[in-house]
Amino acid sequence: MRRGWSAGALGLVLALVLAGCVGGGEPEQVSTPRPGAETKGQLTVWGWDAAIKSLKVVDAGFRQAYPNVTVKYVAKPPADTYRNIQLALSAGSGAPDVSVIEDSHLAQFVKLGGLADVTDLVKPHTGQVNAYRWKPATKDGRVYAMPWDSGPVAVFYRRDVFSKAGIDPESIRTWDDYYRAAKVIKQRTGVPMWPQPKARNDARLLEMLLWQQGLGYVDAQGNVVLDKDPRIQRTLEFMGRFWREDLSLDAEWWQDAWYKALGGGKVATIPEAVWMGTFFRDFIDPKGTGHWGVFKLPVWEPGGSQASNDGGSTLAIFEQSKQKDAAWAYVEYHLTRPESQLQIYEKTDIFPALETTYQAPFFQEPSEYFGGQKVRQLFVDVVRNIPEAGVYTSEYQEMNALLASQVQSFALGKQTAQQALAKAAAAIRSRTSRA
Amino acid sequence: MARNAAEPAALPFTRERGRRRPWLVAFRRYRVPYLFILPFFVAFAVFFLYPIGFSLSLSLHEWSGSGPARFVGLGNYRLLLRDELFWGSMLNATILFLIYVPAMTFLALVLASLLHSRYLRLQGLWRALIFLPNITSMVAAGYVFRLMLDTDSGLANRLLSFFGVSPIPWLDDVWWARLSLGLLLVWAWLGWNTVIMLAGLQTISPELLDAARVDGANAAQIFRRITVPLLRPQILFAVTLSIIGTYSLFTEPYVLTRGGPVQATTTPVYQVFTTTFEYAKVGYGAAMSYVYFAVIVVLTLFQFWALSRERPAGRGR
Repeated sequence: MRRGWSAGALGLVLALVLAGCVGGGEPEQVSTPRPGAETKGQLTVWGWDAAIKSLKVVDAGFRQAYPNVTVKYVAKPPADTYRNIQLALSAGSGAPDVSVIEDSHLAQFVKLGGLADVTDLVKPHTGQVNAYRWKPATKDGRVYAMPWDSGPVAVFYRRDVFSKAGIDPESIRTWDDYYRAAKVIKQRTGVPMWPQPKARNDARLLEMLLWQQGLGYVDAQGNVVLDKDPRIQRTLEFMGRFWREDLSLDAEWWQDAWYKALGGGKVATIPEAVWMGTFFRDFIDPKGTGHWGVFKLPVWEPGGSQASNDGGSTLAIFEQSKQKDAAWAYVEYHLTRPESQLQIYEKTDIFPALETTYQAPFFQEPSEYFGGQKVRQLFVDVVRNIPEAGVYTSEYQEMNALLASQVQSFALGKQTAQQALAKAAAAIRSRTSRA
Repeated sequence: MARNAAEPAALPFTRERGRRRPWLVAFRRYRVPYLFILPFFVAFAVFFLYPIGFSLSLSLHEWSGSGPARFVGLGNYRLLLRDELFWGSMLNATILFLIYVPAMTFLALVLASLLHSRYLRLQGLWRALIFLPNITSMVAAGYVFRLMLDTDSGLANRLLSFFGVSPIPWLDDVWWARLSLGLLLVWAWLGWNTVIMLAGLQTISPELLDAARVDGANAAQIFRRITVPLLRPQILFAVTLSIIGTYSLFTEPYVLTRGGPVQATTTPVYQVFTTTFEYAKVGYGAAMSYVYFAVIVVLTLFQFWALSRERPAGRGR
């Protein structure tokens, strides 16, 4: 009896696991759906609160166009969503039909192989989306996700702090200008220039500053460049000056002290993607109309790029989905139609990657929260010029963790920038078997 | 299995075979009790034995959690040998162990002696209070510790500022973060260790202590010369559990320090977790857990050997 049961149970588990390993099978073709009652389905869409709130903006219209498709949303924080996706892919079942996936995690899932091939479906939209966004969604010439929002980076600055220090943001052209302004601001107002923790640094500012120069962890061939390109060391050393000369706010991001500093004018600038402006308005500094202004990233050398990216997300359909036609209908309606994307942008301020929306008058309008500045147009100028960079690779999480811990050690004064980059590069090479 | 149920009637035959295979007789005689303990063994096989075997096979493969696995032999282990993060996490656990286990074990001994005292009132209440942290959710407790230890707005630094102490970077400095993690661990596990010691104390005959007292020994002498030597087995047990516990720490650093700063509080199991579930390197993570397992076994054996080498004089047996 005993043996029968346990052997049966063992066999069952084994079979499940094997099914998970072997499962997958041949990818089936998804066809472009025609709006109307023919397309049927009960879709499950995973994401997090902010993303789902935005997608819902156009749901009423979607229901009209596809009366026989219902949508159920499951909201979990990004980290939980990703973990659940991974578990569902391992188990071979349990994945949703569609999920929001950030660019930073996308390449990893593309490599894992659980996402549906949407190459032919997105083809009509290839030229309509910010070109750099296709890279993390693509593997071996096939595309596995549709870009949604982009993360063009600029410098958000406190108008009151700048005027108190007598600094004209227009005068900041190069990063050296920025550094000099930082010294003046610190001297005259006591306010640090940017929030960059030492022991809790997540290396994301470094990533942005590198991306601006078309640089990242790896080059176009996938080889690690952290210790190869002298511009990377120069960039980290530039950040080091702010730590050494006490020009940066040593507070962990998204924690109490950080919120208080940003909301209370205790930090002069924050170079960050367009979504940070949304966060300011929504919860970091909701009463701060007119507090903040925006200027483009200073350049590293005259004529250099002023565009960088941080974040960005996509919608992906899962290979496990039994209703891929309906799933694509959902993605197509929400992400590829300028009306939908504009509506989402106007209501919830999620900056579209879809360039066909950029002509809309809404982009030319002054932004009340930013003191009447035409911020939306500024970000359009930025996003059109974002270069491709080797930041969001399939091993991004690991590379970021390995680099961040070395940057922390550098920020704390335990090693030089050169040592930090050499160690990070060596660790990344050994753990990802790259050259 | 059908035969088992049908055959008890053929008793002579059973006995005949039973002489050669006593376990079979035992099995037949205790069929019902075995049935009652069966669920545990089934669960044990499914949730422990099988994963242990499966992860051994995983550790020889390169596998991302889905899709085909590629056999790499000892490749993962070879890679581990020069993985600084891997060895760093071992070092972290060792440092952490040295920071909190000696202090905690000593405190537990002292507390247990106090609780054991005949003159203490409300013994039940004190025991419950000391054990309470151990049954508190570690996630909740860790979060509260994180709030209290915040450098800028935490309660700890505000209290200290009354005494003119400048803010301490509890969680933002390599060594302070390790110490803070140690604090949380002592808080959470002191009660558990105290209970183990207390159980041991209760086995020590009061006559021994009385005799010592009559001979003029003071409390400190009794503690050092009688209590501690006689508690050797309990201390060994507690410290062994602490070794295993420290190397397999996860919740505490995950909630309190998230493995940082500079990976200073990344423990072995934390490393396995990120490697497996965040970096999707399931085979590599499995190889890591096997090496950690081997290290823990070696440490535990060494400790058994070291502590059981000399037998305490007063032990008689």
